Order: sequence, then C-alpha cells, then structure tokens
Amino acid sequence: MPLHERDIHYFLEVTLAYLNKITGHEIVLRDPTIEFQSLVFSTYTGLIHLSGDVQGFVYLTASQPFLRQLYTARHSHGRFAEENCLDVMNDITNEIAHNVRRRFGPALHASEPHIFSTVPDDPIEMPPAVFVQPFSWRNELGYFVLGLTSSESV
Amino acid sequence: MTGTEIYKRTPAYEREASAIRLHAPEWKLLLAYDGQRSLAEVALSAEVSFADALPLTEKFLGQGWIEEQPITLDQYLKRTGAPSVSAIGSAIPPAVVLHSPRPKTTVLPPLPDSFATEKVAASPLESPIVTHAKPPGGLLRLDALVHYLISLADNHALGQILVYRVFLRVPPELLQEEDIASVHLVDDTSVIRGEKLQQAIANAVRKLTQRVLPSSVFAPA
Repeated sequence: MPLHERDIHYFLEVTLAYLNKITGHEIVLRDPTIEFQSLVFSTYTGLIHLSGDVQGFVYLTASQPFLRQLYTARHSHGRFAEENCLDVMNDITNEIAHNVRRRFGPALHASEPHIFSTVPDDPIEMPPAVFVQPFSWRNELGYFVLGLTSSESV
Repeated sequence: MTGTEIYKRTPAYEREASAIRLHAPEWKLLLAYDGQRSLAEVALSAEVSFADALPLTEKFLGQGWIEEQPITLDQYLKRTGAPSVSAIGSAIPPAVVLHSPRPKTTVLPPLPDSFATEKVAASPLESPIVTHAKPPGGLLRLDALVHYLISLADNHALGQILVYRVFLRVPPELLQEEDIASVHLVDDTSVIRGEKLQQAIANAVRKLTQRVLPSSVFAPA
C-alpha cells in the first residue's frame, strides 16, 4: 500500500514533536534536501529499520553538544557523561518507533532502535534517495534522515 | 544589501563544515568570505554575478554560516569611493551599490504566480502519453519543479515530501549521469539538461499526480 505524503511526513512530525517538547518549541528547521549519493552522520545516531509495506529506515543524528543540551534540559541535576548522549538518543528513537507502531500497526514494522557513534557497525544500504531535514537548537545541529527503498510502496 | 558589506565565516560554520553539502559554485562563494573584502569583491573573486551572490549570501546568513563585520566610517567611505569624513564633515554620502560586470548567462524567466496544470486523461495504449509541455531543447529548472510540486500539495511540508516521492521513482543512474548528487528543496538553481532524466522526472510526476509538467518549469537552452 503506497504511503501518502502525510504518512511519510508523520515520521518527521513525531520526531520534531518530541524534540520540541524538551526544548520548549525552540527547534528551528533548516532547508531540507534530497540526497542521492551519501548519508549524513553526526557524532551520535539513533536508527530504526522499517519493513513490511514499506522498506527503508529512519534515523536521527546529532552532535554531542546538541545531545548534552537536551540532556541538561531534561535533568536539572546530575553530571553529564558520554553515555548520557546514547541514553538521550535511545529515548528519542524509542519514541519514534513507539509512535510509528501505534500509527501503522502490523502493516509497518519498526525495528528496535540501533544507537551508534560516528558510523554504523553494519553498513546501511543507500536507497535511491533520502530525505534530509536539518534542524538546530541553540546553534547546535541535528539531522532527521528518512530513506525508503521501495519506490512502488511510495 | 548594497555590496559594500563585509562578511566572514562564523564559528558555527567551522563546527558544521564537515556536514554541509553545497554545489561547487556555492562552496566557491562561501569560502571567499574572508572578513576583509566587500560582498561585491567576494562575488567577483568567486566568479559569481552580484545578482546571484545576493540570494546565496542571504541563505548563508540564514544558516548562520557567515556574519557581517562592522567597519568604520572611513573604511566605508573608502569602499564607496567617497571623500574622507574630514573632507565632507559629518555628512554621510548616499550608499553606492557596487555591481560586478554581468557575465553573459541565460536569463531565466521569473517563476509564475500560478501554474497551469493539465490533467492527463486515461489514454489508450496505442497513443503516446504526453508527460510534459517542453520547449525544444529546454532545460528543466529544479527550483521551478520543486515550486510546482509544492503547489500541488496541501501545504509546504507535504509538498516537499511529494518532491521526495517523485525522485524516489527516478532511476539513480540517470541522476548519476548528470552528476546530480542532491536536490535542495529551497532555491536550487540547478538545471537538468538530459532528455532521458527530464522524461523520467516527468513520468514520475505524472504517475504520482496524474498531471503533466507545465512548460513554466522549463527554461530555454
């Protein structure tokens, strides 16, 4: 079943809704692009594989300063450590996966989040095109990336 | 902007540089901002017309990659060719807009306010399917294509997703042949020359929207 634009945009909506909840609606969207030859990765990435009616992946990638600011916004006390970046990324990616499962049900399977630093351990197959939405908060950048591999499904 | 402004790259640019993706002419301009030369001088050195440098500069400013450097009145007057402050007293001369000599380029017509769309009726298998109304040898303008597709959607964000769906249906090898690594969904000034790629895009648009690409997305060769 082909995904309508609204369904595809839903992945971005839930991501931004979660980030805006933490940042007090301070996320600023930058100009999006469609990439055909390469994937963008920042310091930490949270990735979900998609299967079922649609094949592909969705991931969020951001710098350590961005994630540190997110962590600080949620935890008023406590000392920040590198593993907190992974925790924050895990929380965001889990939220995306949970909402995707709730919306699409059994038609679309969202994998458990795969969190990694710099580049993935397992190479990710580059789909025909990926949608990249950069965003920023307090001068720190993050990227939402959606890659769908089956053109007949979209 | 008058062309006398001086810009330099920001610390934010230095942090984001490795993740930034731009076309080569845009990189040439971005890397030319040195905090010393005026916008007009930078455009000249980067071999970009002043008219083209203006929207790119605004884009870079919007992204936080460059910022304007304040200059003294004497520096400003020197750049505009006006006499020194001591000669004219405290009067400020009117700003002088500096233009670089305009190279001979194809002048693209402005984007129309609305696009005439033509719905394609179901055609018998024997008849050729019209997918676009293109002038002979025309260039497909990516900014016009994006603008058109966005106009078909319920809102801007969904329109950008529609553009993505269109390009998912375009054979990657055709994009590689034309060395198209990306499409910017805002102000992409690239054009597509290859007939095969133009046809593939037109086919994808027709399949997804049941519409023929209007002639306004094409520019003369």
